[in-house]
Amino acid sequence: MPQAVLVINKSGGLIYHRDFEEVEVEVEDRNKPSSNDLLILASTLHSTFAIASQLTPKAIQLQQQPLPNLVPYVPMIDPDNLVPRKKLGSFKGDDYFKEPFQNWNKSGIRSIKTDQFTVYIYQSLTGLKLVAMVSNRSDTINETVVNNLLRRIYCLYSDYVMKDPFYSLEMPIKSELFDTKLRNLVKQL
Amino acid sequence: MAIYSFWIFDRHCNCIFDREWTLSSNSSSGTVNSKQNEETAKLLYGMVFSLRSMTQKVSSGPLKNEIKSIATGKYRIHVYCTASGLQFVLITDFKQQSYTEVLQYIYSHIYVKYVAHNLFSAYDFADNKNETRGQGFRKIANRNFVQSLESFLSPMIVQ
Repeated sequence: MPQAVLVINKSGGLIYHRDFEEVEVEVEDRNKPSSNDLLILASTLHSTFAIASQLTPKAIQLQQQPLPNLVPYVPMIDPDNLVPRKKLGSFKGDDYFKEPFQNWNKSGIRSIKTDQFTVYIYQSLTGLKLVAMVSNRSDTINETVVNNLLRRIYCLYSDYVMKDPFYSLEMPIKSELFDTKLRNLVKQL
Repeated sequence: MAIYSFWIFDRHCNCIFDREWTLSSNSSSGTVNSKQNEETAKLLYGMVFSLRSMTQKVSSGPLKNEIKSIATGKYRIHVYCTASGLQFVLITDFKQQSYTEVLQYIYSHIYVKYVAHNLFSAYDFADNKNETRGQGFRKIANRNFVQSLESFLSPMIVQ
C-alpha cells in the first residue's frame, strides 16, 4: 500500500493529498511534512520533471530509436469481495481497463528512489500528474503496479472530480466521493 | 548502451569532472571535461539538489534520507553523495537496477587514490571565494585518474 497519493495540476500546484500511513508506525519518529512542505514538494516535482527531459544524454539523442512505452496491465483483485464487484462509476465491467496502456510520460521523471521510499509519477496527456509514495518495506509493489493504480485513480478523477459541477478547474479537490473511492482502491493493493 | 555519462560535483556546487560517451561501439568516443557540458552540468546539479532537499524534508526517522536514483522515460540517474559534499552522478539505461557499488568503488578506489591522496592535486577545486557557489571552472585533469576511471567504466558502456 502506498504511503501517500498526491495530485498535481498542470501548473504545478498541489490539488489533492492523502496519507495512508499505518497507525502502528512509530508516530514520534515521523516528522509529518506540513501542508506548506507538500506544496513545495509538488512544485519541486513539477519543475524538475521539466528539467529531466532537457538532460537527455547525447547518445540517446543520436540513436533516434523509440523506446518501448507500453505499461502492461496488472489486474487488481479485491481478496475480500471477489464475487460481486461494486459498480465502477461510469465505467462498465469489473475493472476500469483491461489492456496494456501507453505511458504518456516519455521523457519526464517517472520514479525517484531514496533510502526510505520511492516516488512514482504518472502524467496524463493533459498535464495532470498523479504521484504515489511507496515505502521500500513493501517489495511487492513495482513501477508497473503503481502505474496501473495511478491510472485507475485517474479514472476516478475523471469520474468524480471532472463531473462535479461545484469543482473549479485547477483548484484543490474537496470531493467526498473521490476521497472514499480512492481509499477503497488503494486498500486493495 | 548501458552508461551514458558520469559526473562529479564538489561541495561548492561546481562540476569538477564530466565524461560523456556518445557511441556505444567506441568506448573512447564522447567528451571529457567539455566546455559544452557546463549548462547540462548545472541543470543536472540543480535537479539532484532540489530533489535531495525535497526527499530529506519528507523523510521519517533519524537517518538522512538520501536519494539513490531518478528514473525518467529514457534514462536513469544514479547518485552517490559523500559526507564531504562530493556527489558522484552516473547516467545509465534501464538494464541494471543499482550502480551504488560502482559509484562507491569509483570514490574509494579511484577518486581517493588518485585525487585525494595526491599532493600535487588541489584538494579543494575552488581556489578562492569567487569560485565557490557554482562559479568554479577547475576540473580534475589528473592523467592517472582519467585513465583508471576510463578503464574501469569502459566495460560498462556496452553491456
